[in-house]
Amino acid sequence: MRHIDLKDVLQRTVSDGYGDLVTRRTGQAVRQAIERDLALDGDGQTAAIDFGTVRCLDLSCADEIVGRLLREQGAARAFVLLNLTAAHREAIQFVLERHRLAVVVQDAGGALDVVGALPDAARRVFGALAQAGTAAPEDVARRLDLAPEVARAALDELLERGLVVANAGTYGPPAPYRAGPGPAV
Amino acid sequence: MTRVVEVPTHFDDRTFDQFADGVGAGGAERLLFDAHATQWASPYGLLGLLVAGQAQVERRRERALLTLPEDRDVAHYWARAGFFRQAAEYFELHGKVPRVAASGESDVLLEVTPVRGADDVHGVVDRIQQRAAAILSRELGLEAQATMGFAMALSEACQNIVEHAGTLGWVAVQTYNWRRTLKRRVVVIAVADAGIGFRRSLEATQAKRYGDRWSDGTALEAALVQGVSRFRDPGRGQGLAGIRRYLGRWSGKLSVRSGTARFTLVPPWDDDVPLAHGLAEFPGSQVLMIIPAQNGGAAGHAAH
Repeated sequence: MRHIDLKDVLQRTVSDGYGDLVTRRTGQAVRQAIERDLALDGDGQTAAIDFGTVRCLDLSCADEIVGRLLREQGAARAFVLLNLTAAHREAIQFVLERHRLAVVVQDAGGALDVVGALPDAARRVFGALAQAGTAAPEDVARRLDLAPEVARAALDELLERGLVVANAGTYGPPAPYRAGPGPAV
Repeated sequence: MTRVVEVPTHFDDRTFDQFADGVGAGGAERLLFDAHATQWASPYGLLGLLVAGQAQVERRRERALLTLPEDRDVAHYWARAGFFRQAAEYFELHGKVPRVAASGESDVLLEVTPVRGADDVHGVVDRIQQRAAAILSRELGLEAQATMGFAMALSEACQNIVEHAGTLGWVAVQTYNWRRTLKRRVVVIAVADAGIGFRRSLEATQAKRYGDRWSDGTALEAALVQGVSRFRDPGRGQGLAGIRRYLGRWSGKLSVRSGTARFTLVPPWDDDVPLAHGLAEFPGSQVLMIIPAQNGGAAGHAAH
């Protein structure tokens, strides 16, 4: 999993004096830098974007950095957003609702959730997988008391939107990000 | 030839149309803005005055005249708000400009600040977070999330100038007591420019859709209600919608005036009209945001 520290990207692409992700121009510069870094990886590698050192995130930057990345690269790889504040989350929710997109987020304690536009059934299924780790469709249906076809449709939707991964008949959220040695940009 | 334009005694959004009427559509004469009897001006009023001065300079290549308020306290407030630093470029000032020392904590959360590009927006957001967070929390009872949303709204409003006005604009932020109807402390953000306005900004992409109905009013509706932008990118046009949502959550007021129309998101404590047409023509766009103290906000002091 590639770890992208937004403060670091902001400092090397725009200015080392900035602590806020505001303005469309800044968002574009940061997104383009992220795209250059991701181009070094093969498709399919999950990218973890870390908001931990970002103060203010406005809607223009939320749109450029999250909305546009998901629109243009969401089919090629999964994204996990790390360490969002409530205000970051609100801005991202706002722009993703408009694009009918959703993204996996991970808090400081490692808990996973989804932000953005997602039907209730799929959101519940994601919640169950986030707790269980991985599960087969019938286990999900039993755990949530859903009809099997409803659970399967929700899983298919989550898979299609890059919010879960599938492996040998079971489904689960992207592997949680763990800080440590490894590629970082 | 010089024509006198009276600056209202109490100059804010309520008296702005009277001021715009006085400024008129713009003729050949030099304008003298007479503020000698002005007792108070909100940030919205001060920015409106700058816009009128800027438009005059662009039209005549000559600064307008401005007589300063006679009341020393009023002139001092204008100085503390940073008005005179910007005004000297657009007005020949008549009267003694008070000298004010830079103060720490103040009801002026952000002096009148020019916005020309993205760097200015970064500067505004940085300063408002450094200086205003504690005040917004203590005096208005806004929680941390709302304070960050406040910076977001400010950023989006300022970017409207950068992206659409085609000229520079200004922003100012202040807290004061809202004596009229609300009787609570409020924070007021004013953002204004003398640029091309909403109708001209959206004309190329929207005018055909509206046909004969295309006007300043429909342009404001398209931008504020439908989230329309002049850019084809589906991610554009979210800024004003985001501001509306933020202010709606905190029972705030949003008013956007452009050309001859004004759109207002009217909170329960206000009696403004949602859309006003046929107003006196005024250059550019003027945005007003008012956020009232929430439960838990301290009682205010300086009343207006």
